[in-house]
Amino acid sequence: MEQVAPPLASTKPKRRRLSMAQQDGMLGYFLVAPVVICLLILVVYPFFFAIWISFTDRMIGQGGRFIGLANYVYLFNWIDFQATVRNTIVLVVSLQSMKLLLGLGIALLLNQEIRGRQTWRSLILIPWAMPAFVAFITWKLLFYPQGGAFNYILLKTGLAATHVEFLSSKALAMPSVITASFWRGFPFWVISFLAALQNVPQELYEAAAIDGAGPWQRFRNVTVPSIRHVVLVVVLLSTIWTTNSFEAVWLMTQGGPSNATMTFPVLAYFGLQNLRIAEAASVSVSMLPIFGFLAFIVAKLLQED
Amino acid sequence: MLGKLSSRQKAVYYLLLILLAVFILFPVYYMVIVSLKLPKDIYRTPSLLPLNATIQNYVELFTKQNFLQNIRNSLVVAGSATIISVFISCLAAYSLVRLRYRFRDWIGRLILFTYLTPGALLFIPLAVIIAKLQLGNKLEGLIFVYLTFSAPLSTWLMMGYFRSIPADLEEQAMVDGSTRLGALFRIVLPLATPGLIAVSVFTFTGAWNELLYALIFITSPAKQTVPVAVSYLITGDVFRWGLIMAGSVSAAVPVMILYYLGQRFVVQGLATGAVKG
Repeated sequence: MEQVAPPLASTKPKRRRLSMAQQDGMLGYFLVAPVVICLLILVVYPFFFAIWISFTDRMIGQGGRFIGLANYVYLFNWIDFQATVRNTIVLVVSLQSMKLLLGLGIALLLNQEIRGRQTWRSLILIPWAMPAFVAFITWKLLFYPQGGAFNYILLKTGLAATHVEFLSSKALAMPSVITASFWRGFPFWVISFLAALQNVPQELYEAAAIDGAGPWQRFRNVTVPSIRHVVLVVVLLSTIWTTNSFEAVWLMTQGGPSNATMTFPVLAYFGLQNLRIAEAASVSVSMLPIFGFLAFIVAKLLQED
Repeated sequence: MLGKLSSRQKAVYYLLLILLAVFILFPVYYMVIVSLKLPKDIYRTPSLLPLNATIQNYVELFTKQNFLQNIRNSLVVAGSATIISVFISCLAAYSLVRLRYRFRDWIGRLILFTYLTPGALLFIPLAVIIAKLQLGNKLEGLIFVYLTFSAPLSTWLMMGYFRSIPADLEEQAMVDGSTRLGALFRIVLPLATPGLIAVSVFTFTGAWNELLYALIFITSPAKQTVPVAVSYLITGDVFRWGLIMAGSVSAAVPVMILYYLGQRFVVQGLATGAVKG
């Protein structure tokens, strides 16, 4: 710090030097470049490429030509696709409302003064820490007629006279997929809600209690406004993931029986297996408006944090 | 919340918690006991208890099946994806948090949007691109593709960590003559070690668990990763549940332990939205 500038410095030939800020700017681009280049190649380009493919008649191994909206016209008249849209709505609406209501309920329960709260928190995380593919294969076993636990219990207790076909009956396949998805997905909601609940200032509750607010009014006027932001982020993020989740349906039912559990990613995957990639791409891209809307709101909320 | 609970309320709460515990633990319990049973015990004399327990399934899995090879493949893929992604993400996150330049906000938004972009939207074009690049059926191709989710996730999480480290420390180091990069590697990264560990764990488990891309891009049995190998066990005509569950337990236990270790390093609040699932 005590260095004194050498007296001859000013007589040296002047080289244009970048200012500190400019240097930092250059370094900034340099450091961020690897990630940006990766994402341009692996996400941005494929994203637009998918949209382009969906307007062509491309097959694997041969380039396609532009055919306008023909794939989409085909999709909307295709029964498999119609089933996919219906199933996705049923799946997302019922699964997300279950996770919201029960998730909030469990979070409120764990927020009480109970013994071993930390242990309960760790316990809740088990399904979420388990690899998704393991969770869904295990649930397939639980539901399976031969060797599955649920059928064993039902037959043993006499609640059912014969094997219940949880995964291969049209009526039960979707509820079974939803149950398994709930098991795997709800911890994320509970843990996020719990973190938000613990950040609500205790004084607010006390003040509300002094003003004579009952439990419901405290929940309605203190808890809900305080955790609204987190709840919204969790609902939107999870809706994006749920709509696009492949493992649950693929491992448990492969979309069957007769399309009863078909979802977008599985239908697109079948399209790719049949080498009909233009059709498959249009299946994926048809979710884009909803995904874009959800992602836009989540991005706004997350950047406010 | 508020006030002490009456003993009746308490009883109801604990009853609900016990039900919850059963709901969470029963599938795990069943997975483990079936992995310890032979087919005749699973089908002919089904039971919820681990009767006639044997490690036969594990022995077969690790000796007769390709499972050790699958584990090796998964370790290579998840390990490489983690190292590459955490390294480039640290640089990018530092740049986005500390340095000022044009388009910085746009790049931040790009990373957030790529994090939110689901794999279900990308796997078809990626299949075409990977085939063009001659990376099909290669572990390198899979490592490359895994950057689609690991790079945005690690960058996003590391940005949160770097924000929590005061800028004064590195500025001090730079006043003392260190370069910015020197300050990053000698001051900031050591301070961010808990963050680095957490991000590495999440990236590693994400890559270890990934099924869809691995199913599409890997075609030969010798290159299969663990999720693909286990998922192929359930596509045969006869489901050998004992073997399948032995594979499931073996695949799950290491990453679940890792996940719990990593979880301890997560700063509260950062956890929200941390793990794509």
